[in-house]
Parts: sequence; C-alpha cells; structure tokens
Amino acid sequence: MTISALEVTGLYRYFGGLPAVRDVTMRIPAGERRLLLGPNGAGKTTFFNLIAGDYPPSQGEIRIFGQNVTRKSANQRTHLGMARTYQIITLFPKNTVLHNVVISLVGLRECRFNPWSDLRRQTALWDEARATLVLVGLEHLADQTVMETSYGERRRLEIAMALAQKPKLLLLDEPLAGLSADERQDVQRLLQSIPRDVTIVMIEHDMDVALAFADVITVMQHGQVVVEGSRADVVADPKTREVYLGQ
Amino acid sequence: MRSPVSTLSLSLIGLVALLVMPWLVTSEYYINIASQIAIAAILALSLNLLVGWGGMISLGHAAYLGVAAYLSIYLTTQAGFGHLTGALIAIGATTGLAMIFGYLALRASGLGFLMITLALGQILWGVAYRWSSLTGGDNGLGGLKRPHPFGLNLMDPTTFYYFVLVFLGIALLCMARFMQSGLGQSLQGTRDQPRRMHALGYNVWLIQWLSFVFAGFWGAVAGLLYAYYNQFVSPQALHLTTSAETLLMVIAGGTGTLLGPVVGAALVVILKNVVSAYITRWLILLGVIFVVIVLFMPEGLVPGARRVLRALKNSPHTDKDADVSSIVRDRTQ
Repeated sequence: MTISALEVTGLYRYFGGLPAVRDVTMRIPAGERRLLLGPNGAGKTTFFNLIAGDYPPSQGEIRIFGQNVTRKSANQRTHLGMARTYQIITLFPKNTVLHNVVISLVGLRECRFNPWSDLRRQTALWDEARATLVLVGLEHLADQTVMETSYGERRRLEIAMALAQKPKLLLLDEPLAGLSADERQDVQRLLQSIPRDVTIVMIEHDMDVALAFADVITVMQHGQVVVEGSRADVVADPKTREVYLGQ
Repeated sequence: MRSPVSTLSLSLIGLVALLVMPWLVTSEYYINIASQIAIAAILALSLNLLVGWGGMISLGHAAYLGVAAYLSIYLTTQAGFGHLTGALIAIGATTGLAMIFGYLALRASGLGFLMITLALGQILWGVAYRWSSLTGGDNGLGGLKRPHPFGLNLMDPTTFYYFVLVFLGIALLCMARFMQSGLGQSLQGTRDQPRRMHALGYNVWLIQWLSFVFAGFWGAVAGLLYAYYNQFVSPQALHLTTSAETLLMVIAGGTGTLLGPVVGAALVVILKNVVSAYITRWLILLGVIFVVIVLFMPEGLVPGARRVLRALKNSPHTDKDADVSSIVRDRTQ
C-alpha cells in the first residue's frame, strides 16, 4: 500500500460547544489534486487550519506522508514538506517582493537562527528566490515593495512563497478569491504548471475553475464530509445540489 | 534612498566627533555625561532589539542593568572575586536570568508580555529594596573601584569615556549585524506576521526567546559599565522608572533603527543631568518634548529627521506620497 500524502481520521474540532469540524476522515494519495467545496461556514478553512497545525484538533489523527503530526506545531509540519497559502493574503507589505520569497526560503534553513551572518551576502539564497519569481512571472516586480503591487500579484506572491519551499503537500485556501478575470487566468496557469508530484489540497468557490483542476472533490457541510468522489460523481450526486441549492 | 557614500560619510563624521569630543569639551563633567549617554545607549539599543525589531514592549528591562550592576559590585567587593571573574559571572548570570525571564514573559504577547516583564522587574526591585543583608537595601551597594584593564586608568574620565565608547561601538556593530542576519530578519518577520512565520517553518517562540536573551546580554553589559561608572548601585537601578526611561529613549529616538536609541539616550540623559540643573521640574520639560516628538515626528527623531531632510532636499518638487513611503522605508532599514 502506498503512503498517503495526507491521511485524516475521525477529526473533530469544537469552538466552545460548537462543532466546526465533525468526524472527518479523508485519505489523499500523493500527487492528487483534491478540491474542498462547501458553502460558507461548512468548516473548510477550519479543516485547513487543523491540517496546517494552526489549531489542535479536539479529537482525531492527522498523518502527513505516514507520519503522525497531530501534536506537531505548524512549523514542524512545514519542515515535513507542507506549505500553505491563506484566504486573506498574509505577506510582509513593507518588504520587497524578492525579500518575501527569501523569508520563505530562510524558514527551512539553519541560518534562521544565525545572529551574525549577513543574509544580503548569501547570493545563492537570493538567486533561488529570483528563480521562484521567474516561475510565477513576478521577476519584474522583484525590487518593488509588496504594498506597491496589485492584489493579483500578491496572490501570486503568496503561491510563490509556498512553492519556494518545494513542498510535497500544498494547501491553497481560495487562491482565486477577489481576482479579476485576467488575474484568474494567470493564477490558473500557474496552478496547472505545478508538478504532479506535489499533492494539492485546495478550497475554491469558483466551480468552473475548481472542477477543471481537481482529480477528486470533497463537499463539506456543517463540518462534515457530505459527498466525495470524482467530478462526475460529485456533480451527479443529489446531495451536492442539496448543499448548494437547498433542495 | 540614502546613498552608501552619504551614510558612510555621516558615520565617519559621527565617529570622529565622538573621538575628538574630550579634546573639544575639556570639562570632566561633560565627559562624564558623554559616558553616561554611551552606557544608556547600550541599554536602549538592547531594548530596541525587543521593541523595535521584535514588537515586544518590555517594561522590565532595567532588571538586567540592575542585576548585572549588583552582581559585579557584590562579587568584587564582598565575595572576593577579581574584576574580570566578577564581570564574567555578572554578565553570565544576568544572561541566565534573561533566559528565565524570557521563558516566563513569552508565554504571553502584547499587553500580557508587557505586564509580565513589568511584574518580574518589580519583583527584583522589591528584593533589592527589602533584602538589606545582601543588597544593602535602600542604601545600596558601594565600594567598587574601577578596574585597570591592560594598565588603563579608568578612574580618569577621558580614559573611561573611551573605554565605554569601545563597548558602544561593539554593541552598534553587533546590532547592525543582527539586524541583517537570519535571526534578525526572522525576528522582524515574527513582529509583522507571527502566524505566517509559523507556517513558513519558523519557531516563533524560539526566535523571540533567543532575541530576548541576546537583549538581556547587552542589558547586562550596560549594567556592568553602569556599576563601573557609578561605583555604586541602589534599587533605583532596578526601578520601573529606569525601565520606562529606557523605553522613552527608544521611542523618542526611533524604534527599529540603529541610531535612534543612541539619540534618544542622549536626549534623556542630557535633560536629566544638564537641564535639571537649571529647571527643577525637568520631567515636565521631558514630557513636553516627548509630546512634541509624538506630534511632529511620530516615527522618532532619527527617521523623522531623515524625512525632513529628504523633504527639504526634494523641495520644491516635494511629493507627499514619496514622504510616506520614505517613512516606511526608513523604518524597515
């Protein structure tokens, strides 16, 4: 049996008495593109935050590439090959675009604890950051501060920061949210270009884009998994229509 | 953007001014004031590490100044240690104290962090004040004679000034390197986006703790020099007002800048020592000056002065937007 990129068993998360995630069990094989769908308040982002290690689960187990990470912190999970983006863009606005990617790269290196060596002189690091920006088409903005860039460019920078860490498991929380039609196409192309050996779990509301992207779709409602399967299965399932149309 | 040439020339002018100062100002009184400024600047630089680059506002930083001063005086005058051993133990033990205080204080952030540092500082002040058999209580500890490192007579104000200046130079160099290092950049990241930094693989707590300990170390160095300068220490060194004064130096000079704490230290020490000789209510004047700084240069004197100079230089083509971005750039440098 091959090791899953992500395996979640009986996951619960309560906020006070309110269950935000209830008994979620999921297995995502390596290389799969998994889409999480569901209306607002379905528990998708909470589920993401549980996988990423932002919240500890109330109950259940999370495994990344076979390793139990349930009690591991977010930064430990990142060192195991996981990276994520945020629904609300979370960057370093006063720093340059290039510097943001460098910060991302340093996160996985020992030099993050070095109080003496000058980061500016580590040319290999900056070259690698520039190469990542070329990958996402932001190289021309490398020396601009993030606050001087557009919303769409910031979305791409978020993804660039995640890709810079060469993740094996990538969590994308609504990467197309708030983008114009042109910007959506740019980000879509970028997502399609990510190598297949990277497992992607994505939350997205744009059904056309999302369905075209995903191998397997999981529909959530009230913190639970309602439907799971291929695109055709999920679209045909009456529960999907019930979740979205209330029929 | 400032050109490297202008930065270098300004730094050289500053360095030359500090070196020739004792020849220009022959009065021992003013040379001693300069030594006090240098010691206060080292303490302010160490606090700036937390406040400016770490976003951790501490009201207990006097703890390191006071503990290092008490330890060095006690060890050399009562426990029979030599100056060097006493100094090394004092700095080592105070850094150890910073490890413990950091562990406790970093259990909280923001206001909680501030309150814990305040409480820890006040506990030490209470111990120094009440444990008379060890600390001398309100009378403090005295009797320390300045050391003679490499045959230098530190009793001479000018020699002592240069001695302190060497430490200030090393502190500035270390802070400048720290600011651009992996740890320094990580610390600034944890200040701006702690959650993001976690997700990028940084152990936010550990980075803040290491920086806290580094700041404690430099606080201890300032404490040692404080003990040598005064040859005496009292609970006042550990008091909240000392911590608040240091915080004022950092904010007035400009948080997150290298020269800001030095300028802030000069401002407060001069007001405290020189102006207080002429104006009894000097604290009111200090308050007024602080309000004026907050109103007209909220970013602090150093970044504020840079902004004004840049605006004057660019005049009459001054662009308001350019000014705003320059404030941001200054604070990130």
